[in-house]
Amino acid sequence: MLIHIRNLWKTYDMGQAVQVQALRGVDLDIERGEYLAIMGPSGSGKSTLMNLVGCLDTPTEGTYELNGRMVSQLSDDELAYIRNKEIGFVFQTFNLLARATALHNVELPLIYNGTPASERKKKAQQALAAVDLTDRSHHKPNELSGGQRQRVAIARALVNSPSIILADEPTGNLDSATGAEIMQLFDRLSKQGHTIILVTHEHDIAAYAERSVHLRDGKIEKDERRAA
Amino acid sequence: MGKLKTPIWESVKISLSSLRANKLRSILTLIGVIIGVTSIITMVSLISGFNKLVADQLATLGSTTFIVEKFGIILSDDDWFDAMKRKDLTLADYQAIAAGCSECEEVAIQKASNRKVKYGREHFSRVPIVGITPNYMKVVALDDIVDKGQGRVITEFENDHRRQVAILGPELVDKFFPMLDPIGKKVRIGGIDFTVVGVPKKRGSFLGDNQDRFAAIPFSVYQKYFSNKLEPWEGLQFYIKAKDYPSMEKAQDQVRAILRARRHVPYHDKDDFGMYTAETLMDLFKKVTTGISFTLVGIVSISLLVGGIVIMNIMLVSVTERTREVGVRKALGARRRSILLQFLIEAVTLAVAGGTAGILLGVLLAKVISWTTPIPAAIEPWSIIAGLLVSTGVGVFFGVFPAAKAARLDPIEALRYE
Ligand SMILES: Nc1ncnc2c1ncn2[C@@H]1O[C@H](COP(=O)(O)OP(=O)(O)OP(=O)(O)O)[C@@H](O)[C@H]1O
Ligand SMILES: [Mg+2]
Repeated sequence: MLIHIRNLWKTYDMGQAVQVQALRGVDLDIERGEYLAIMGPSGSGKSTLMNLVGCLDTPTEGTYELNGRMVSQLSDDELAYIRNKEIGFVFQTFNLLARATALHNVELPLIYNGTPASERKKKAQQALAAVDLTDRSHHKPNELSGGQRQRVAIARALVNSPSIILADEPTGNLDSATGAEIMQLFDRLSKQGHTIILVTHEHDIAAYAERSVHLRDGKIEKDERRAA
Repeated sequence: MGKLKTPIWESVKISLSSLRANKLRSILTLIGVIIGVTSIITMVSLISGFNKLVADQLATLGSTTFIVEKFGIILSDDDWFDAMKRKDLTLADYQAIAAGCSECEEVAIQKASNRKVKYGREHFSRVPIVGITPNYMKVVALDDIVDKGQGRVITEFENDHRRQVAILGPELVDKFFPMLDPIGKKVRIGGIDFTVVGVPKKRGSFLGDNQDRFAAIPFSVYQKYFSNKLEPWEGLQFYIKAKDYPSMEKAQDQVRAILRARRHVPYHDKDDFGMYTAETLMDLFKKVTTGISFTLVGIVSISLLVGGIVIMNIMLVSVTERTREVGVRKALGARRRSILLQFLIEAVTLAVAGGTAGILLGVLLAKVISWTTPIPAAIEPWSIIAGLLVSTGVGVFFGVFPAAKAARLDPIEALRYE
């Protein structure tokens, strides 16, 4: 079992005794190699769940085991370690560093785990090759199309060979043709054995995944597998 | 669980690249630190150059010489009014000291006033004319300077027989005798003819006082022609050389006793004359320059404080602007420490760059001042080290708060920041 989540709660204190319960007791198990889509209406807690799975945040209550390691109560530095080694993020707005080249953006996670420069370059080049961007490695984000930017972000997510790739509405800022291109890339990565979790509103995007989890009001409403 | 290690030079690289991206802003940020460090270097150089110059000059007076005069060292208006009421030192005082001071090797007289000096059609108005006993030249090492120049010093014989001879400052010689040998020529000083017997080597100016523009004549001649009651400062100045350094104090005590007795100073009263040595003058000068230094330390501190606050302000702006960047870095596994270092190194680099520019500017400024004015400069290595340390300190002190702020950012909020 790669991810083992039990009774996960996330409550935001808004002051004056007002509380927002973004997640209200989520149970979720995910196997290695799964390709899963999280769906649900706006405000249902999809991003909140993603952030918890991605160790950007800690739950108010409940347990989260990643790769057999209890991560719901880790310190800041330990969470940074998990984010670096186990998780690859892909964001809706790409979140590339504007001043840096595609190559340098892909190198970033490797810088933070002290990979030597020569090895870093090699790995980053390989990751860019995996998303068909070898010829764009010295371009800055503003010299790339939206789809190319998202591919750089995916290369960055891949570069450390993480256990999971997390993508929060990765096609949200792209037109449908480019979105489809990106989804084909995820498809390919999934076939290569990567574990992928993606958040989306759109059914045809979710259709790429083998399994879809529907959230409503912070709870799992439906968990269905596509017939193979 | 394993631990992430980010080599420090990677943090340095990240910091430098973000400084390069904001070149103009980075440079403007530095002005305060540059001004602060430039002032440190320039002022330290000038003050220490000045101190050295004064020390050199006073060294010609020697450690065994002291000066006795009516005024002494005047530090306040009260001192001045007191001194004005005093009796002048007289020739009789001189004779009493010369006869009564066993620890004194030489007792010389110097008296000065300004006169017109003329040769042919050329003239200088208001040249300091000093009447001296011949031993005065030995006491203040003027004999050496004449030896290195032309001609000879004034002799005892000339003083005893009131010969109208003069030692003429090189500046006057240059104007009067550009081509001719000055020795043996007659010049008119205050309407009286004098024969030039010696010309000292050029010395330049000291504290704005042109040391090459003067004429020295025998004291006896000065008394005869120039000592009229129209001169406000009638008194004599005595330049006294003790036998050796150990007998300095004794010599001063003897002179003091002789003068107090002759001038009937009551037992409990202060001396009604001034007595000082090169050392006293040096101490006084050091006190003045230390005072100036403290004022400067104040100015420098203020400009460094302002410079530091500017750096802090710019770093806070930079942290806010790059909130999203911090979020991204954290999402990719940057620890707090890495983010803290990134911004701290940025601040320190800024400050040290300012410090280095300040050092270069300061050295340059000190050199330019020493080339264009009589004020000398001595670059002190410790002031350069101090400049670097102080600017590093400013960078760390004012950089740590913005850097800590960046490091504490919550990754999710940072990522969501617009
Ligand atoms: N930092 C926060 N402080 C307070 N409330 C929050 C915070 N983050 C999220 N929420 C609330 O938690 C709930 C779930 O938010 P979340 O972002 O997970 O929704 P979502 O399913 O991702 O929605 P969308 O599809 O619009 O992205 C919302 O009601 C939201 O207002
Ligand atoms: Mg969301």
